Amino acid sequence: MSNRARSYNTEGVVLRRRNLGEADSIFTVFSPTEGKFDAIAKGVRKPKSHMRGHLEPLTRSKMHIAQGRNLDVFTQAETIAGYRAVRDDLDRLTLALYCSELVERFTVDRSPQPQLYDLLNELLEGLDTNGPLTIGRSFELQILAMSGYEMQLANCAICGARFPEGDTLFSAASGGLVCENCRGTAGTGRILSVRAIKVLRFARTASIGQFAGLRLDEGLESELQRALGDAIRIVLDRETNSGKFVEELARPLRASERAARDDVQSSSPFSS
Amino acid sequence: MPEANSTPEPIQRLVDAFHRLPGIGPKSAQRLAYHILRGPEQDAAFLADALMDVKRRISLCSVCLNITEQDPCRYCADDRRDRSTICVVEQALDLLAIERSGYRGLYHVLHGVLNPMDGVGPEDIHVRELVVRLQANEAQEIIMATNPSLEGEATAMYIQRLIGPSGVKVTRLARGLPSGADLEYADDITLARALEGRREI
Repeated sequence: MSNRARSYNTEGVVLRRRNLGEADSIFTVFSPTEGKFDAIAKGVRKPKSHMRGHLEPLTRSKMHIAQGRNLDVFTQAETIAGYRAVRDDLDRLTLALYCSELVERFTVDRSPQPQLYDLLNELLEGLDTNGPLTIGRSFELQILAMSGYEMQLANCAICGARFPEGDTLFSAASGGLVCENCRGTAGTGRILSVRAIKVLRFARTASIGQFAGLRLDEGLESELQRALGDAIRIVLDRETNSGKFVEELARPLRASERAARDDVQSSSPFSS
Repeated sequence: MPEANSTPEPIQRLVDAFHRLPGIGPKSAQRLAYHILRGPEQDAAFLADALMDVKRRISLCSVCLNITEQDPCRYCADDRRDRSTICVVEQALDLLAIERSGYRGLYHVLHGVLNPMDGVGPEDIHVRELVVRLQANEAQEIIMATNPSLEGEATAMYIQRLIGPSGVKVTRLARGLPSGADLEYADDITLARALEGRREI
C-alpha cells in the first residue's frame, strides 16, 4: 500500500504498547486492511489524552492515522470492542496476551491477513463471553495453519502413508503425526493419545465458537497444550514471553490452592 | 565520526555519559558537556558530588522498598500511621502522589509492573517481599494502587490471587473519569466503570 493518501482510516486490535519519551507511546496494531503496523500516539500518556483508553492493548478500535515521515501518527481512535471481561480475569487476560503475542510474531509488517484478524477477534470475543480457556488451543492450531505451518493430522507427515488409529507420535519438527515406520527419521516429539488426535482434527475444521462447545478434561487439555506449545516453539524458534507467564501464573495458583487446603486445617496459612 | 577525533578525550567521555541519560540526544549531550566545561569549577564539583551522594546515601527501605536515606524509611518508622493498611504502588513517585492525597497508611513499592508481552514476570518486581512481609504483619487491607493500565490491572489481579487466600482484604483503587475530562472522548470501559461506581449526591 505505497500509494496511500496522507491520512487513512482503519480498524485494528492493539497488540502492544511501548512508551516513548515523556508522554508518547508507540502502538503495534493488527488491522485487517493494513496488516501489522506501528504508529505513534502523541501525548497519549497525559491524563487528559482523548485516545488513551481507546488504544489500550487488546482493544479493537477504529483509527484515523496520518502518514508520518518515519512512523505514522494516530489522530483519532474510538473503541469498537473493549473486551472488558477479558481484562477482569487474570487467566483470560494472560491467554489473550499470549495469543496477541503469537499474532505479533507470526505476522510481517503491512501484510494484511484478514482471516487471522477474524480469528483473533473470535478468540477475544470467546474469552469475553465466558468461553472456556481451551479455545487457546484452537487458536494455536489455526494460526499455525494460516501461517503456512499446517500440522499433518490425517496421514504420516513424513511418508504420507495412512496409519492405524491409535496413540501416535506427534513431531512438530516433522510437521505433524508420524507413523511407526518413520519414527526413526522423525525429530523429537511426543506420543499423542487417540482422543487428543481426534480433538486436533476437529479443531482444524471447527471455528473457535464450535471448539468452545467441546468439553476437555484437564489431562487431555494439558496434553494438547504441550503438543501445540512444542509446535509453536519449533516454528518460532524461541519461547514466547507471555507463554512463560502463563506457566508462571499456574504456579502461584497451585500454591494458593494448597494454601486454601491448609487453611481448613490451620486457621492461618502464613503462621504455619 | 569526525568529532570523535577532534574532541579531546575528557570532553568526549562527558558527552557520552550525558548521552546515556533518557531523553538526551547527541546534540543535547554536547551542549550539556560544553556548558559544564565553560562554567565555574564549583558547579561541576557540586554536580559530581550530588551524583555520587544519591548513589551512596539512598537505598531501598528493608520493609516497604521505598527509596530512603534511613532504614526503615520515614513512612515505615512513623508510629502515627495506620498500620492496618498497605498501599501497593508501582514506583516510588506514585507513593508521593498517594501521599499528597492524604492517605496515612503504610506502603509497598513494587519497582515495576508485570508485563507478560515483554517478559517481565513476578520475579522481576518486588512481589515476594510483599508476601513475606504479610506473614509477620498485622495488615488487614492491601490497597492495590497500580496504574489502571493493562499491566497495572494484571499486576493487581496477580497479587490478589497470590495473597487473597491468606484472608487479607485486597482492594483496588476506583476507576472512572479524571477531573476535567470530556465524556465525549471517554472510552467505553472507563465510562462503564464510572457508571458502576456512581454515587448519590
